[in-house]
Amino acid sequence: MNTDNLQIPPSLVRSKLPRWPRISEPEMVRHYTWLSNRNFGIDTGFYPLGSCTMKHNPRVNEVIAQLPGIADIHPLQPEHHIQGTLAIFHEMQDMLGICAGMDAVTLQPVAGAQGEFTAIRCIQEYFRSRGELQRTKVIVPDSAHGTNPASAAMAGFEIIEIPSREDGRIDLDALRAVVGDDTAAMMITNPNTLGVFEPEIAEAAAIVHDAGGQMYYDGANFNAILGRTSPGIMGFDAVHYNLHKTFSQPHGGGGPGSGPIGVKSHLAEFLPGPVVKRRPILPDDKLTTVNHEWWYHWKEPENSIGKVQQWHGNSGAVIRCWAYYRRYGNDLKTMSEHAVLNANYLRHKIIEEANEQGVSHLFADGAPVDVVKHEFTLSMAPMKESMGLGAMDVAKGLLDKGYMAPTVYFPLVVPECMMIEPTETESKEVLDEFARKFVEVLQEDPDVLHNAPITTKVRRVDEVYAARNLTLSYQFDE
Amino acid sequence: MVDQLPNLGREKEMLDAMGMSSMDDLFADIPVAVRMNGELPLRGPQSEEEIIADARRILGANVALGDRVSFLGAGLNRNYVPASVFQLVTRGEFLTSYTPYQPEVSQGMLQAMWEFQTLISELVGLEVANLSVYDGSTAAAEAITCAVRVHNRKAEQKDTVYISELVPPSRQSVIFNYTQGGDITLKTLKHNPDGTLNLDSLAEASGSCGVYVEQPNPLGILDGGLTRVKEIIGENTAFIVGVSPVSLGMIEAPGNYGADIVVGEGQALGSPITYGGPLYGIFACTKAYLRQMPGRIVGKSIDVDGKEAFCLTLSTREQHIRRHRATSNICTNETLIALMGAMHMSLLGPEGLEKLARRNMAACQLAKQKLSEISTISIPHMNNSHYNEFVVQLPGLASDCISYLDTQGLIGGFDLSNWYSEHSNWLLVSFSDQTRASEIELLAAHLAVWSASLTQGVSA
Repeated sequence: MNTDNLQIPPSLVRSKLPRWPRISEPEMVRHYTWLSNRNFGIDTGFYPLGSCTMKHNPRVNEVIAQLPGIADIHPLQPEHHIQGTLAIFHEMQDMLGICAGMDAVTLQPVAGAQGEFTAIRCIQEYFRSRGELQRTKVIVPDSAHGTNPASAAMAGFEIIEIPSREDGRIDLDALRAVVGDDTAAMMITNPNTLGVFEPEIAEAAAIVHDAGGQMYYDGANFNAILGRTSPGIMGFDAVHYNLHKTFSQPHGGGGPGSGPIGVKSHLAEFLPGPVVKRRPILPDDKLTTVNHEWWYHWKEPENSIGKVQQWHGNSGAVIRCWAYYRRYGNDLKTMSEHAVLNANYLRHKIIEEANEQGVSHLFADGAPVDVVKHEFTLSMAPMKESMGLGAMDVAKGLLDKGYMAPTVYFPLVVPECMMIEPTETESKEVLDEFARKFVEVLQEDPDVLHNAPITTKVRRVDEVYAARNLTLSYQFDE
Repeated sequence: MVDQLPNLGREKEMLDAMGMSSMDDLFADIPVAVRMNGELPLRGPQSEEEIIADARRILGANVALGDRVSFLGAGLNRNYVPASVFQLVTRGEFLTSYTPYQPEVSQGMLQAMWEFQTLISELVGLEVANLSVYDGSTAAAEAITCAVRVHNRKAEQKDTVYISELVPPSRQSVIFNYTQGGDITLKTLKHNPDGTLNLDSLAEASGSCGVYVEQPNPLGILDGGLTRVKEIIGENTAFIVGVSPVSLGMIEAPGNYGADIVVGEGQALGSPITYGGPLYGIFACTKAYLRQMPGRIVGKSIDVDGKEAFCLTLSTREQHIRRHRATSNICTNETLIALMGAMHMSLLGPEGLEKLARRNMAACQLAKQKLSEISTISIPHMNNSHYNEFVVQLPGLASDCISYLDTQGLIGGFDLSNWYSEHSNWLLVSFSDQTRASEIELLAAHLAVWSASLTQGVSA
């Protein structure tokens, strides 16, 4: 095809091409392979990053996601071109609804935070439709993920933060003190960010509902409870799912994720549109290989809030998670049980090992409970007090032992917090070894630990320097 | 399932170590009243080979674009992405990592994203780029709220942003959802009959917080008038341009004609369409917007030995620090897809990008010429320059034409009445580097047959 004589308005002719590198394929392949060798993933080693559910990502999911029937499909193709995708979406909507005890599901939100925002928008429109315009406040516990208040604020709500009790659990008196006819919703995760199940969750839901508000479930910690309880049973009206946490969409260094939401029937008409429905096949339908019973189609919810992503969400992630779901089926409960088993076992082993080595005085339980759910927290405050070394130093010490560090300094309610989530895909041997190494780090010479890590590609990175000497791209010599 | 759960069958051993007797003990803290009883009413587990077989059967029912001759684009374009991109992106060190909170063991992704920021900065002609937002629509929405945060204090038209009336309703809907909470008023900018922005009406936008337009616009038109926007709206109003990134291999970088913020759908660089997600949104701006911009940013720094190192920076804008005062709620973004973009850009190089842009535009221009030769159809914006796509005015409904073409094995384009209800005869046809001249001939032939059948009153 002739690529000369192209008509461009003179004012729009590019004056200077971007200063991009000029490299051949072998150089490019080697560069990114070199970079990958400087990066730590679940495939590299144990990744106990609390609140992120860094479980193994089955590779069959990647194979399926590259089939032309998913990668090479356009969102504006007619329904008879996409019966396969719609069938999988329908199955996923159903499955997610069942797992969470919700009546309707949309797969459109593309990340957890967007799911939160979407659900809060639905709740906002619900109250507007009822003329309850005075409901302008959203309650969040101080232990909540930062996305909760950020998402509600983006929708225009005022945030009321309530303190947690010392054991990290919700303070019902504090909740009672703030609910009222201006309450739109409470956003909470259960188990909470300390990995502790909130035993008074039904009471909290009753308090919020009695005040006329809605209960929102942050699904970040959903991996802990599948098949054992559900947000629906606990009294929630809306929930988001992190498919990249619970359902093994690879985290990809920070995305893509997928954050579907589920709602009770009274909120279904406000969901972003469209959602997938099905009807029996009619004689005029073109039969496909999906099945011979159902015809799948898009349907706009009656009073939809509209769209939060321009198309139909992160379809590629949904398909991977469909494959993951199919692997477990009704045994998803076993998955959650093993996540909880591993977390409790690791917590037990760390404490046992620390006792044996005489260093248990260096940390405290983030929450004094008999059992945790999928994750647990340790406070390194005693170590900080006695040795001047804290959670960050231990984290860096763990990097030297060949591990990804746990989440540090979150939740804020636990001083010098380390939040550890092993997930169900780690063997007992990995957990035993990690417990030993964790305690070894605590026994490290303080000077050595202060200088950790020493075995990594670079050593402690100066974040203050980065912020003061902002260099956000390559600086060319003009 | 044993292959996914290493401790299956070892429960007793582990429970014993903890002094517990059953898995139920682990859930004793869940009050009886909120326990789920019985099994999840879901299908049974499948083996990997069963899942693959089902996936092939179910997804085989889809009609892939590559199975047909396709002219469907509407903002998502099927540019060829080299094989090495797909191979490299599945490296587990990238694929299975998460947000690089521990920079010492995350230098690979941090450097790759810093390079991505550089590539995007250079592409759009602005100093700063983040490491992606969700997609082109949320990028536009975030740019608008960013502009309000920066300009509202001095703005004469408080909380007001002007957006092109051509922006598709689905994108406008995203923008509305992102802005309604901040009580931002969205006003629309008019266009001339030839599809270009009406610069006379643009004067109204002066004194507002921002103006959002697209280049090429949703009708595929390259609008030279946009180079005059900044001088009309003035310093205190953000000029936000949504771009099609590959076009910038030929088209001037908006940063060089006054854009303050450039956003766009990154997909054509590095990624297949994947039914509209995952994609990645480009977000770049001048330094004046830096501290109000959304999303993650990588900075170059040093480690304790003074060695070059990378880390996330300016995090105090973000939700995990600033909570409800954050510039955005975004946490998980589209890093891996942005990485694919970076790989594709690195392979292309400047001249490769220009070549790709030329190839896209040449297909579009050839199609325009061929279709203009058909007497029964017309091209409403014929005298403008187009990139990737243009509008064809048909003698009948675009929806009917698409149905007819479908029976002939062609995915004919997009029925624009879905966006602009008054234009039921407008078909948006799209071309890319994947389009062959013979396919354009095929489209022309079928459009001629269908149009002739209508004008002669004969059923095609």
